[in-house]
Amino acid sequence: MILDWISLENFRQYFGRQELTFARGHERRVTVIHGVNGAGKTSLFMAINWCLYQEGVENVGELVSKEAISQAEPGQQVQTTVELSFLHRGERYLLRRGLRGRKGKDGNFEVDPVTEFTMRRTRSDGQSERVKNPIGTMNAILPSNVRTYFLFDGEKIDNFAKPETSGEVKEAIYLVLKLEILDRAHRHLEVAAQEYRQELKKVSSDELRSLIERNEGARTERENAQLRLAELQAEIVSARRKIDDIDKRLRELENAKVLQQERDRIEKALEQRHVELDKITDRIRDLATGAYIIIAYPAVKRAIEILDEKRQRGEIPSSIRQQFVQDLIEQMRCICGRPFADGSPEHQRLLDLMRTRVPGALEDDVLDTNAALQPFGERAERHRQDLDEAMRQRTELVDWIRDLEAELDDVQRQLRGSPLEQVRNLEEQRQGFLRDIDRYNLEIGALAERIENLTREIEELDRDIKRARKDQRRELLLGRKLELAQQAADGIGKVYEIFADDMRSSIEAKTKEIFKQLVWKESHFQDIRLDENFNLEVIDRYGMPARPELSAGERQVLSLSFIAAMSRISDEEAPLVMDTPFGRLSSHHRNSITQCLPELADQLVLFVTDEELRDQARANLEPRIGAEYRLEFNRNTSCTEIAEVIR
Amino acid sequence: MINERIRDLFAGFDKDLKAVIMDVLRVEQEHISMKRPRVKDQINEIITRVAEKGLGQ
Repeated sequence: MILDWISLENFRQYFGRQELTFARGHERRVTVIHGVNGAGKTSLFMAINWCLYQEGVENVGELVSKEAISQAEPGQQVQTTVELSFLHRGERYLLRRGLRGRKGKDGNFEVDPVTEFTMRRTRSDGQSERVKNPIGTMNAILPSNVRTYFLFDGEKIDNFAKPETSGEVKEAIYLVLKLEILDRAHRHLEVAAQEYRQELKKVSSDELRSLIERNEGARTERENAQLRLAELQAEIVSARRKIDDIDKRLRELENAKVLQQERDRIEKALEQRHVELDKITDRIRDLATGAYIIIAYPAVKRAIEILDEKRQRGEIPSSIRQQFVQDLIEQMRCICGRPFADGSPEHQRLLDLMRTRVPGALEDDVLDTNAALQPFGERAERHRQDLDEAMRQRTELVDWIRDLEAELDDVQRQLRGSPLEQVRNLEEQRQGFLRDIDRYNLEIGALAERIENLTREIEELDRDIKRARKDQRRELLLGRKLELAQQAADGIGKVYEIFADDMRSSIEAKTKEIFKQLVWKESHFQDIRLDENFNLEVIDRYGMPARPELSAGERQVLSLSFIAAMSRISDEEAPLVMDTPFGRLSSHHRNSITQCLPELADQLVLFVTDEELRDQARANLEPRIGAEYRLEFNRNTSCTEIAEVIR
Repeated sequence: MINERIRDLFAGFDKDLKAVIMDVLRVEQEHISMKRPRVKDQINEIITRVAEKGLGQ
């Protein structure tokens, strides 16, 4: 980050709009802002911090120019803004932070608590765009918690050099040199890995393997069953063929011929009766499905009776429509066409029918219900008759079959008892094949049922496997995520140690190099050490720790050396903005710092009093000053104007 | 220099692992000013994206 220009409007003692442009050349990179005590150096320093980070201000109400409030009319709005432009990695950023307030009729000033902030970025091609994530962007450029090491009050920076402040040194190195980022990334990745591990425990199981094994087992069993089924069917075909052969041979044998022919007839008749029995059984099943008519009939019959009773009592209309009755009365004619006299029984009967008049819709419903229920009885009766007839036919067929089977048994018994051994043997073989067929059919039945069950089981297992595969994909992804998170955390952990050691050594060497350039007693201070606990130590010529004995000026020089070293090591392009940096320094240190400091920062902004920067110190900086301003305080208005010093 | 040094230290890492680390460091950098940054979801997104890409999902 290299500061370009700043513009203040009604900011503290800066009434109206005040602007200044920072020096940012390679050679002339120093901006000097002069001001006596109270002229507004700290306010200007505060304006930079507030605009960039909204920090460094405790009460925003104090930011509004009192002069602007005083000049405002009651009810008039006063606006305070700071605009700041800076360059970073080839892009220009423009920041605008502002707040508004209104002067009340009682003269009090009410500040709107909402601060307005805009950040825009202009690329090298001149295109400007709004930065959507300004906090994230600033954190990537110069984080707010790092700013204090680049924008600081010169008189307070000796903290780093105080013996009790190793914590601050460590924090500075952590933040500026990105150790904090590595540390946080390590911790957060460990947490992520831990969460993935927990999640994985929940979804991980051997369910899929078990389901696949069960599925394979079921499929193998079904395949074997189907093979066995085919074998049995082939056996049945073979047995039937052998029975046919036996029958043929029996037909050819004189002593068995008649019996065999008788058996052929009976078997044919049996086959025919079985076909008929199957048909009649189907018919009975169909009739039974519609048997609700018979079951419901008593209720329907009762409903018809109730309707009739109500009609008799005149509670519901007769089965004659009201309009028809009305027409007959008007024509004074009976339903048979014969005229009747007024007051006659026919006339009276029609008038009675009219008395039971009900609304048209109800009349329709009653008549429709009556019409629908009347044929119900006929249908139920017909249904019962059909069912009785089918049952009778079935009983007849069953008796018939029983008789035929008895006849068949008789024939077979005669063949088994034949005096001819050949006939007896053939018949015994035949009976054996028939028993085999029965056994095969039994087994086929059991197998078919098993195959059906297995098919259902396989379908269910297929569905479960599909679901488990989905879970497995999730498990696979979680496993990979865990691997990545854990390896990333471990990797950062390992790199962290190396990197932290690198940074500590680099800072130590650079601080030493700069300190030697800045301190005037360079021969007395032999070494600078930054130990593993980040204690910053100065070693004197006796090899003894000398930090407790450092003067305030020397502590400031040590701190400055440390900050400049961090700036160099971090290699982040950033300005050093220092408020009253030389106040406590003797001329020796002022001279050395003014000589070296421009080389140690990419941009240097110094807020100084006239006393701080004079003689040799001024002469040292002179060739590097690119912009110079004087803060002119007006005693009459208590306002400050920024005046450029023409060089 | 620091960013380059960090990249160098992770140079020998597996490509996917390096992608996760660099993206997580970027997210951490963007939230560095916060004391308790809420980066859990972003880190999960980074890891999920790299893992899914690696598994061809």
